[in-house]
Amino acid sequence: MASVSIQQTQKYFGQTHIIKGVSIDIADGEFCVLVGPSGCGKSTLLRMIAGLEEISGGQISIGGKVVNNMPPKERDIAMVFQNYALYPHMTVRDNMAFSLMLAKREKSVIDERVGKAAGILGLNQLLDRYPRQLSGGQRQRVAMGRAIVRDPQVFLFDEPLSNLDAKLRVQMRTEIKELHQRLKTTSIYVTHDQIEAMTMADKIVVMRDGLVEQIGTPLELYDNPANQFVAGFIGSPSMNFLPGTVMRSGGNVGVQLSDGVVLQMPSGTAGADGQKVIFGTRPEHVELVGGSEGVAAEVVVVEPTGADTQVYSKISGTEVTTIFRERHDFKPGSTIRLRPDPTRAHLFDAANGNRLAA
Amino acid sequence: MSAIPSQIVAVKLPARPFSWRRVATEAKLLLIGIPVLIWTMIPIYHLVLFAISPKESALSGKMWPDHPTLHNFSVVFHQQHHYLFHFWQQMWNSLLIAVAAGALTLLIATGAAFSISRLKVRGGRAIMNLALFTYFIPAAFLAVPMYKTMGNYGLLNNQWALILAMVTIASPYAIWVLKQASDKLPYELDEAAIMDGATPLQLFRLVYVPLMMPSLVAVGTYALLLTWNEYLYAFLLLSRDDSITLGVALGNFLSADDSPWELLMTTGLLYALPPAAIYYCFKRYMVSGLTEGAVKS
Repeated sequence: MASVSIQQTQKYFGQTHIIKGVSIDIADGEFCVLVGPSGCGKSTLLRMIAGLEEISGGQISIGGKVVNNMPPKERDIAMVFQNYALYPHMTVRDNMAFSLMLAKREKSVIDERVGKAAGILGLNQLLDRYPRQLSGGQRQRVAMGRAIVRDPQVFLFDEPLSNLDAKLRVQMRTEIKELHQRLKTTSIYVTHDQIEAMTMADKIVVMRDGLVEQIGTPLELYDNPANQFVAGFIGSPSMNFLPGTVMRSGGNVGVQLSDGVVLQMPSGTAGADGQKVIFGTRPEHVELVGGSEGVAAEVVVVEPTGADTQVYSKISGTEVTTIFRERHDFKPGSTIRLRPDPTRAHLFDAANGNRLAA
Repeated sequence: MSAIPSQIVAVKLPARPFSWRRVATEAKLLLIGIPVLIWTMIPIYHLVLFAISPKESALSGKMWPDHPTLHNFSVVFHQQHHYLFHFWQQMWNSLLIAVAAGALTLLIATGAAFSISRLKVRGGRAIMNLALFTYFIPAAFLAVPMYKTMGNYGLLNNQWALILAMVTIASPYAIWVLKQASDKLPYELDEAAIMDGATPLQLFRLVYVPLMMPSLVAVGTYALLLTWNEYLYAFLLLSRDDSITLGVALGNFLSADDSPWELLMTTGLLYALPPAAIYYCFKRYMVSGLTEGAVKS
């Protein structure tokens, strides 16, 4: 097990700048998830850690050793690929034993390690099968087994669940987390699915366009997103954004929306009088009110999921998603009144999207 | 397209077993298939007919000889005719040269395809284009330059001359086919093997070659049969009776005024058997879907 340190790392593909100076510190035993929209460079960064891509600038070290010019096999890492990449002509046993065989380990050691990994992953019955005889979930488990037998310092996962169906994905997600809790090996996990990131990570790194937007624990990112991008990316359904203007008069602070409605904010709220802002509120932080409180919203679609009800409505022309624990049966086109919880609202600078510091 | 739904209906409703449309489709296929079959089989039929006819009735024009005999085979096997004095030697020559050329072509083409497709060596594209370029000039035009070249190397009348010439002719096509097949192997397998600590040579031996087996067998068989059937180069580069291939020896039959047709055809029939055997031996390796289960497609 080892820590991983990425310092000012750069990557060029020809003239294209893919990774634009990324620095991340991953502690020993930590489960770090790199998340971001496709094309943000997260997979490239993982492949640079793996040694499958050269590092154009900066430095990557694993366990204190700089690995920039080290071939993959000397880095003591194991990788699980998105599409499993199992050797189709080898049995599950041989797939898992391959790296140990290449390292010329003794047969007794190989058998013991493969047996142990198979036990952990529940693959004991499948050791003599070929990959084509396995289901998607079983194949992914073999791919993980292949990583486990090596007992590496770091596990790298490149979107390992995105080829599985929704139900299996949730199940495997739990299995991977359980596995990490058991083995405590430093893991770096790439995904575009923020739910995977939230549920599995000790530390999330949100990336966009080759840059790190924010690093933090799942709840830090959820509660204090550094900017509008992170706020919109983390959380499902995603945060609602309403354009507005800060209004200050005496001790009162409010945000005036485009059609003139003013939302009262707590007194410590940042932002200068007249500043253009984006008012962000999570779907579950909006309550339904009666009378003349809150703001008027026109119901567009109501989606009952059983556990809760998602209501899509429009406030001043902007679509807003809300989640209610109670069951509601609003008619599309009817008007309801909504009040975002001001203490849990987020204000972002309309000019650059950054969070307004309180 | 219209024929397919009617077939489905026919399968779903066994109560309607007879369909004119189905009969028509079958009939159309048979109408094409039967003449093609006959057309293909007639020369082989004549080959067999000659081989089992006595010398005097070989050219009688009958559909079946009055006294079928295996005497011709005995003559060939015991090398009892002056054209056949080196029959076994020549058969062996053919086999040796074909196997050697096939193996060498395979070695070169696999190495080239692996380097170009998987290791992505510099200049790979240029090599591919050059390989294709060699086919712009018909092989027959290159026969004399090849003769001269082999002469310069002192290889004339040496079986290596024919082996090398055939490797030269077969390799470009083999490289192209194997390169295309290599490109279809998922690259993640290479990366997985690299992560597992495989060197390029281990990757080649333990992952690439096993997965390429169907293509390798197909290409190897191609080069082998190409060499087995080669006449022009074999005729030019080899001339001693005990070093020529059986194909050239068969051609020599025609140098006489009264050729022993029945022996020529018997030898021809025997000459056609090894390729057929080779084809049937290797056919089962030419299976597709070997990489199934490797990656999620």
